[in-house]
Amino acid sequence: MKTEIVASGNQLIAKFSGRLDTAAAVQTIEDVKPLLEASNKEIILDCSALEYISSSGLRIFLSIRKEASAHGSKVIVRHINNDIRQVFMMTGFVSLFVIE
Amino acid sequence: MIVAAGVLAAISCVQYFTARNGIRIEAELRAKTELRKAELEIELHTVEMETAAKTLARLVEKHIDIPDSIYAATRLAVGTLRTKTSLAVAFVPDYFPKHGRYFEACSSRITEDSIYTRQIGSAEHDYTQMEWFQNGFKHDSCWWSEPYLDDSGSQTFVVSCSYPVRDSKGEVVAVVCVDLSLDDLKNISDYLQVYPNSYYTIRSSTGLEIVPMPDTVAGQKYNIFQEEIDATGWHIEIIIPDEVLFRDLNHIGRLVGVLMIIGLLILALIIAYSVRTTQKMLDFAEKNQRIAGELEVAKTIQMAMLPKVFPPFLDRPDVNVYGLVEPAKEVGGDLYDFYVRHDKLFFCVGDVSGKGVPAALVMAMTRSLFRSITAHEENVGAVMRKMNNALMDQNAQNMFLTLFLGVIDCKTGQFDYCNAGHNAPAMLRTQNTKVELLPVLPNLPLGIEPDYDYQGQHAHADRGDLLFLYTDGLTEAENGRHEQFGEERMLKELTECRERGLAPREIVQTMQQHVEQFVNGAQQSDDLTMLAVRYQVPALVMRNDIQQIPTLAEWMEEIGLPEELNMPLNLALEEAVSNVMLYAYPGQSGQVLVEAVKSEKVVFTISDSGIPFDPTQKAEADTTLSAEEREIGGLGIHLVRQIMDEVRYERYENKNVLTLIKKI
Repeated sequence: MKTEIVASGNQLIAKFSGRLDTAAAVQTIEDVKPLLEASNKEIILDCSALEYISSSGLRIFLSIRKEASAHGSKVIVRHINNDIRQVFMMTGFVSLFVIE
Repeated sequence: MIVAAGVLAAISCVQYFTARNGIRIEAELRAKTELRKAELEIELHTVEMETAAKTLARLVEKHIDIPDSIYAATRLAVGTLRTKTSLAVAFVPDYFPKHGRYFEACSSRITEDSIYTRQIGSAEHDYTQMEWFQNGFKHDSCWWSEPYLDDSGSQTFVVSCSYPVRDSKGEVVAVVCVDLSLDDLKNISDYLQVYPNSYYTIRSSTGLEIVPMPDTVAGQKYNIFQEEIDATGWHIEIIIPDEVLFRDLNHIGRLVGVLMIIGLLILALIIAYSVRTTQKMLDFAEKNQRIAGELEVAKTIQMAMLPKVFPPFLDRPDVNVYGLVEPAKEVGGDLYDFYVRHDKLFFCVGDVSGKGVPAALVMAMTRSLFRSITAHEENVGAVMRKMNNALMDQNAQNMFLTLFLGVIDCKTGQFDYCNAGHNAPAMLRTQNTKVELLPVLPNLPLGIEPDYDYQGQHAHADRGDLLFLYTDGLTEAENGRHEQFGEERMLKELTECRERGLAPREIVQTMQQHVEQFVNGAQQSDDLTMLAVRYQVPALVMRNDIQQIPTLAEWMEEIGLPEELNMPLNLALEEAVSNVMLYAYPGQSGQVLVEAVKSEKVVFTISDSGIPFDPTQKAEADTTLSAEEREIGGLGIHLVRQIMDEVRYERYENKNVLTLIKKI
């Protein structure tokens, strides 16, 4: 599991690649700290290389979403695959995020 | 016994002495009555004689001037008396000079009708020297003499009654004497003879024996009852020897004594017999208790022979076996065994003919043979032949057994088996929804025919296939109406078990419950044994470390799941396993074991030995809330439920067992 964060103007683009399972979440939560501190930004969660997500990953996404709301940021989830979309559907995350 | 004898003896003694006392009182009363009668009888005589004496004295006084009339007077007086007695009037010497110095007129009754009268006074018969005369002379009233031998008249012992005769001046001039022959008192013996062998004595006031004491009385214990006759001063004694008085009582006493001794002997015999019987019973009970205790130990030993730690073996995660033996008695002749050697699972189920200890010994022998022969022989037919010959050699009791022997190669799924007359096991295959009996050849049971050529068979087991072995204690379990559980019912229940995705332990336990329900309290008549063997995808053994989670995805590839289910099942499993890792072992390390069986559905079983933890009771996240309202947790179990068709939790023998099922 790899997490890359790229700042581009008003945007913060986080690119996840690999499997965001319970084991990986431990590191990922550290990796996404810049996203939690950012204010008035457009946070893009690029999931094009994300193969898998479990509830631990979803909790990170939810944390980002909650912090963003608190700091006036906006979160966009991009390029989720069908498996992950299925998980988003099952958990009601589809209605929490802007998915492109 | 001794106390009983003592009490009996005491009662008898009391009875004896009470009776003795009663008899004595009775005898005394009787003696007193008879004495009284005798006294009256004697008095009747004495009064009669006194009256005769006094009457004669009056007559003589009136006609004292005419000596000849005195004879007539004596005759008259004798006539008044009933007894043959003599009656005399003796005058003081020279009272009638014409008649000589001595004058004594005497009349005696000779017979009923004749009275003999004469003058008997003479120098030879000097009555003045006689006691009766002298005393009669001196006394105013009747004087009774001591008994003496009447040498003049009757020549018998007599007593005399003397009474004075006075002239007109009041001078005593003569003495009247009436003799009473003691022979006349004989009839009083009728009264005094109280008992046939009792005695009586009559003694005068000076102690002279009128009726002497018989010699036979000497040396005996006797009872004396006495009475004094007022008129004569005589003592009458009735003497009743103890032997006479208590003869009947002693007879009865002896009889009672003999009967009592006989009774006591019988009692002693009964008691001795009872004691022996009781002792025997006690010995028997003690023996029984000891045997029961030993059987309990034997049961423990026998049960310890059977493998109790059930797979999945942590070192052999590709087999899952669960076995159960329920002996009908303390020990039984059923057995199962299994072990893994060189990637091969050897297992067997057997049923020794008969029950109890003999069957248990053969069972123990069979189990040893199974282990020792399979240790170097893998050919099932050869194993059976060797076991058969070994059992034949050592089989003195002609006991035989049915045995199913199986060997599964865990690497290839090659399944070799040989059946020696045992019930055909049921196969629960992943590829077949129908549960069927394994085809078996009709080999003879072991221990019947030496050198019998047992034929082995081959089959293939897919991972997830389950073999259900049993003894006839299952199919022939009877309810109160003597209906048997039967093969059909067993197959039906097994089909249901397969549909529910039950693991070996669950299948055995479910079947056990079904049998219990079926027999409904009827007594178990035969040993019941079940063994479920599952050849499976090697179970995944994980430490309770989150970092182990990625191994789940790799392991799942071995199951061969459809592509589209890979991710959701992986997700559900990860959520379930991570839950266990996080909660079942607080602050300590432990293991989590994951098994999978794939048929028309996939069944995951997650087991751990941690604290009781039921994830199905965890609150689920509410997915309808907005981001701000959403809690961070609760997503995991929600996902598990969303993905799986069935989630069930069981706490069993200090283990948490979570089963997840998804139709494919």
